[in-house]
Amino acid sequence: MTTFPLTRAVPRHFRPRSGNPLFTAAIILAMVMVIAAAAATLIAPYDPDFVDLGNVLSAPSPAHWLGTDAVGRDTLSRMMFGARTALLGPLLVVLLSTALGIGFGLLAGWFGGWIDAVLCRVFDLLFAFPALLLAILAVAIFGKGLTAPVAAMTIAYIPYVARLVRSLVVSERGRPYVTAYRVQGFAGCWIAVKRVLPNVMPTVGAQSTLNFGYVLADLASLSFLGLGVQPPAADWGAMINDSRGALMSGQSLPALVPAIAVVLVVIAMNIIGENLSDRIGGRRQP
Amino acid sequence: MSLLEISGLTLDLPSEPSCRLLDGISLNVGAGETVGIVGESGSGKSLTARTVLGLLPGGARTSGSVLLDGTDMLRCPPSVALDRRRDTVSMIFQDPRSGMNPVRRIGDFLTESLRLCEGWSKADADERALELLRSVGLPRPESHLSQYPHELSGGMLQRVMIAGALTAAPALLVCDEPTAALDVTTQAEIINVLRKQQETRGMGMLFITHDLNLAAALCDRVYVIHSGRIVEYGSALSIFTSPRADYTKRLVAATPTIPSVSGRRSSAAASHGRAPSAGSAEPALEARGVSKCYAIRGGADIRAVDDVSFRVPPGGALALVGESGSGKSTLARMLVGLERPDSGDILVDGVSRSTRPRSRAERLKRARAVQIVFQDPYLSLDPRIPAGAAIEDALRLHSTLRGVEARARVLTLLDRVGLTEKHSQSKPRTLSGGQRQRVAIARALAAAPGVLVLDESTSALDVSVQAQVLDLIDEIRRERGLTLVFVSHDLAVVRRVCETTAVMKQGAVVESGATAGLLEHPGHPYTQLLIDSIPKPRRSLHAISQ
Repeated sequence: MTTFPLTRAVPRHFRPRSGNPLFTAAIILAMVMVIAAAAATLIAPYDPDFVDLGNVLSAPSPAHWLGTDAVGRDTLSRMMFGARTALLGPLLVVLLSTALGIGFGLLAGWFGGWIDAVLCRVFDLLFAFPALLLAILAVAIFGKGLTAPVAAMTIAYIPYVARLVRSLVVSERGRPYVTAYRVQGFAGCWIAVKRVLPNVMPTVGAQSTLNFGYVLADLASLSFLGLGVQPPAADWGAMINDSRGALMSGQSLPALVPAIAVVLVVIAMNIIGENLSDRIGGRRQP
Repeated sequence: MSLLEISGLTLDLPSEPSCRLLDGISLNVGAGETVGIVGESGSGKSLTARTVLGLLPGGARTSGSVLLDGTDMLRCPPSVALDRRRDTVSMIFQDPRSGMNPVRRIGDFLTESLRLCEGWSKADADERALELLRSVGLPRPESHLSQYPHELSGGMLQRVMIAGALTAAPALLVCDEPTAALDVTTQAEIINVLRKQQETRGMGMLFITHDLNLAAALCDRVYVIHSGRIVEYGSALSIFTSPRADYTKRLVAATPTIPSVSGRRSSAAASHGRAPSAGSAEPALEARGVSKCYAIRGGADIRAVDDVSFRVPPGGALALVGESGSGKSTLARMLVGLERPDSGDILVDGVSRSTRPRSRAERLKRARAVQIVFQDPYLSLDPRIPAGAAIEDALRLHSTLRGVEARARVLTLLDRVGLTEKHSQSKPRTLSGGQRQRVAIARALAAAPGVLVLDESTSALDVSVQAQVLDLIDEIRRERGLTLVFVSHDLAVVRRVCETTAVMKQGAVVESGATAGLLEHPGHPYTQLLIDSIPKPRRSLHAISQ
């Protein structure tokens, strides 16, 4: 059989350790998205809001690689500009929820007792709310745009980070090296923030990467419902919404492109997050 | 032909620089014979034992042969190896608790192979299990059958494991450090059980251990293994009394023993630096009627430490010796302020430390008075912090040294414990057990404490490394006039360092006094039991014939 000559010829240990092709692909995809979003003004072929009513719902062509939408706007350019809000929203949510989640988780895990009990009940309460529902509520109160959904999502995602930090800190707190710091006379706060926190950070980082994908999907859902970024600004969720009419008339491309982008980013973030936590898990074993 | 014959066994792991773990191992075990393999961690002794059962690490390349009753366990098909494991060879592991499914009853554990593989009825299998439990000396076999592993102590579980290994009436029993996790008195009981079973059943036994004393006490012949090679073999007594290989000589010299007559080291320990004993000077460390209780949910309180009093003069060394559950570690934690006594008082240089420190200054002052070196150097160092930085942290906290001066002091401390500048950049995981424990000692010394508590500080180390660390502790103590409290389960170890010893049982001190006197004329039956339980080389048939 000649089907597997390559894998047979290269012994297992000679293959590069980081050579997980899925992981590499996910990283490349994420980088492409970020670069496209950051350099949108430079590399986008058209103005994303330029309406060309003479060229609506065109198929992919050398002039419009991904075709145009119902009012003749270039889908590729709108995808690039849309990537800005699509990536910026989740980034803000992940940064804020990670920072706050670490704070609450550290408080609960390090001090234990009633602080832990109260915080854990609050986390349970937040877990009980669907994130999307909370975001819709926030939009209803504070109005549409990016701010209200981001704030609501941040609150909804804090418990995921806080629970994780808490359980990690509780297990670290009982370790002999923490006891050793105590005997040396270090203050509890110093040990918690300067020594325990850095030891749990890699795992938390991996979890936050996973969260990024979920938040992106949630925010896209919100703008699909018309509660997120407002037109004419480009956004992936809003683009799917705008193209519903075209979908009905058999033109699936303008809706399909942003939908696929959302799915790809979520999958990529899942792969990255899981690989990171696998690596950390492997490294921590003695 | 021998029951087990290993010849020229070589095992390589396919790692980057090809890693040879076993190199030309040859040994044999006859029917009814007990053979020991003695070696330190990483020597390949467990690996050798596992090849007998055909259990190899993934991707291992082997050469040579492991003939078990005529079957080559390295080359035979997996189904044949499985059959041999069912009917010819059994194995007992170090930790009985991790070897049993915690959600299944003892009875299930013992009978499932009979019921599932041999097709016995439940009644017959239970009958067989009862018989086995009785033969390994468990007190209530009928009720044990319906108990779960967590309801039994470590020693009882190891008996269950032995019973489980004997279900198939194997011709060869492989024991991989079966008593390393047990107390010394429990160890003596388990060894008795093994010896009795081996004699009544006429089994061959391959006994893996790091403890030369134990091997010499139990085995007919002993193989000494070092970095995957057998460096010496012979009758147990001859290896112990007249080792030929250099490595064996070092191992014998490093093995702590309790001599029947007063030994050289105990007299050495008694002679140096001993302050006038009874209370004439202000004691460096004093415990006055210290007690500590733990509340158990739904049960009576446990008196972990019960009215313990002692005085250690400046520069003195006190050993607290006891088995697990004797309260010695709780006492050590109270000495360094990790726990507070329920009643009684602990005084360091005349200052009480049984209340919470009120200020940062007081907390630091207490930390400077007493420092501790913990048992497990793998866990007591922060995995992320390099050795030098860990010591520097402690220095910055306890002195005004900063920058270059602090770095210089770190190097001095590292040098003092036998490490170099190179080690200061190393993360703990790249250091060996002995090196980590040296770092832990240097870190404790950074605070320049008057009293150093050693909580089983050498029990996780290999015998030869333990001897080096004990020597280091002894040197540093003399140099700095440190007062030592050495918490240990091992009388033979504390004998090397401490001139006074207190023996603890169930939270109370049952006997205390000069170490040498205590070992020669134990006054309390429990002390006598501890001393008797330490394995001693026995006169084997081979030795008598010589």
